[in-house]
Amino acid sequence: MLSNTGPVAKLYLSIIDDVIESMRELYLDEGLEDRVLDDLRRIWEAKMMQSKAMEDFRKNNINSSNFVLQLPDSYGQIGRAHKATVVIPAGQSIHGFPNNSETLATFSLPAGLAYPVQIPAGVTLQTASGQLYKVNVPVVVTQAPMGQKPLSLQIQRAPAPQSTAAPPDTKLPQQVEPPPAPAPSVSQSPQADLPPSPESSPVQQPQVPTADATQLPVVPSPPAQENEPSAQPEPVNYSMTSSPCSQLLEEALAQTTQLKSRDIDDILKQVIEEEREKAERRRNLPPARTQDQTEAVLAGLGLDYSYSELSDIVQLDGPPDNSDAEEEGGAPLEENDFLGIINAEAIKALQEGGGSSDGNSLSSSSDSEGADKLSAEDEDPLNSGDDVIEQDIPDLFDTDNVIVCQYDKIHRSKNRWKFHLKDGVMCYAGRDYVFSKAVGEAEW
Amino acid sequence: MHEEKAPYGILAAPHNFHMDSGNDDALDIIITNVVATFKTRCHLNLRTIALEGVNVIYKPECGKVLMKLRKPKITASIWSSGKCICTGATSEDDAKRGARRLARCIQKLGFKVRFSAFKVVNVLAVCSMPFSVQLIDFTKNNRPIASYEPELHPAATYRIKHIKATIQVFSTGSITVTGPNVQNVATAVEEVYPLLFECKKPLRK
Repeated sequence: MLSNTGPVAKLYLSIIDDVIESMRELYLDEGLEDRVLDDLRRIWEAKMMQSKAMEDFRKNNINSSNFVLQLPDSYGQIGRAHKATVVIPAGQSIHGFPNNSETLATFSLPAGLAYPVQIPAGVTLQTASGQLYKVNVPVVVTQAPMGQKPLSLQIQRAPAPQSTAAPPDTKLPQQVEPPPAPAPSVSQSPQADLPPSPESSPVQQPQVPTADATQLPVVPSPPAQENEPSAQPEPVNYSMTSSPCSQLLEEALAQTTQLKSRDIDDILKQVIEEEREKAERRRNLPPARTQDQTEAVLAGLGLDYSYSELSDIVQLDGPPDNSDAEEEGGAPLEENDFLGIINAEAIKALQEGGGSSDGNSLSSSSDSEGADKLSAEDEDPLNSGDDVIEQDIPDLFDTDNVIVCQYDKIHRSKNRWKFHLKDGVMCYAGRDYVFSKAVGEAEW
Repeated sequence: MHEEKAPYGILAAPHNFHMDSGNDDALDIIITNVVATFKTRCHLNLRTIALEGVNVIYKPECGKVLMKLRKPKITASIWSSGKCICTGATSEDDAKRGARRLARCIQKLGFKVRFSAFKVVNVLAVCSMPFSVQLIDFTKNNRPIASYEPELHPAATYRIKHIKATIQVFSTGSITVTGPNVQNVATAVEEVYPLLFECKKPLRK
């Protein structure tokens, strides 16, 4: 697995390992099964790979084949001895990448899973190289003698409504190309009656597979399927009609090697496993909850550091809140002990912002009393709510490019900013980068 | 020339003086900075503003938050007491609009802001005489009001008490005027012009 990953992925995986291992005892103490922890790890890695794997895999596989899926021993391909394993998150995407042991996958295809492989509809497949397929219609992949016509049959494709991190369009022709020389073909059963949401039941409708390697009848399904937009990759604008598709497939057939076909086979097998497991899990526990937990864990992990660090800043300036004064018996502000002021401020700063508006209303009433005593010249054009124009330029760009790091020095001259940063992670254009030092300049 | 600064032209020809200025062109007084303050009448949580506000700089060591606005180019210092100082505006109107916008930004962050006590505190303007000035003579003629220490500062300082304006005169003929409002600044320039004219250097610019 690690052989295929870049430095960033290595770092992330090592972090995942650390966290999972350190939590293992805790989980056991709580009485939760190990399985839960493994599920968490699996889901986490899947999500991470899904969002980031594109880059790493793409980067690493530019020279190699499009499908780097490791093959099960039974296929004995390319000398790879790993077991093909799958990571099947609660979402619908699966990732195939080599598993060298206890780490990643929980679902491993039984070695020697024989064709035909049934793939229920609504499943999303992802190859290790980052290609995403969404199966909208149940298909069955079988082995077939070579030379057979590919998917010229009823492949239905619909435009992909959802878009998440998905391989670019340029991959598409590549993707279709490598299907193995032996003509894969997957024909779909008349699926008009099939529900578009396969979650209810893994629909297994045997198809008439004919090829050694399978062509995935990738059909995007409505995004609302599992309410997991992040887990649903867009099948890459697979809005081709069937005829161009079949042409492509025919080309692909002519060109691709058997290796690649095996990769696709594995993916499909994995998908089936996934569907079975999903159905099982749905019976056991609501996957959504797991998903939420995972997401919460993932979200909470790295990105809240800055906030928690900042919460240590205590505000020691300014007059105390009237709410605190009231606690002390309603003494007027001026009579408060200086120490009391500091404590009040500290307490107030540590309380959440919810208290701020309450404090403001109370303090404003006391302020107005004081102000009246002070001077009569305070105008109070109270119409600020109506008159004031909103800022003409709202957030110009609510960008997704984020850097989370520590700073050595941040400097500003008029509107020129200079940044000296260290030890950070940044997400830029969907890709993650890790740095130990960064220098930047910007103009505001 | 001075794109960003608001020109405030006045009649430069001091008709009431018998001086033969022969100069009927208007002097351009360019306002470079207007400083204004206002109060929000409520206590502000600087941390909240710093975390959630847009374009803010938190200075916990000074106990204030700087908020910069783009549209009227204004930088405001906000204290937790609710007092705000806005600097960088180029006219009084601009300052008021910017201040209101600022109050609106703070209000949007969840504080019960009441825009009150808006006051322009300082106006800084520059003006350029079409002639150079002999500072020593100028100081001699206006002895108590003007002061000139060439070793400390290259300009002569002329303070007009009744309008509370301060004028700094440079030997090149450029002057900077600061006063409590724009009208005072204009008055100050009008008042000082003839005095400067008296001491102009023989070489005409």
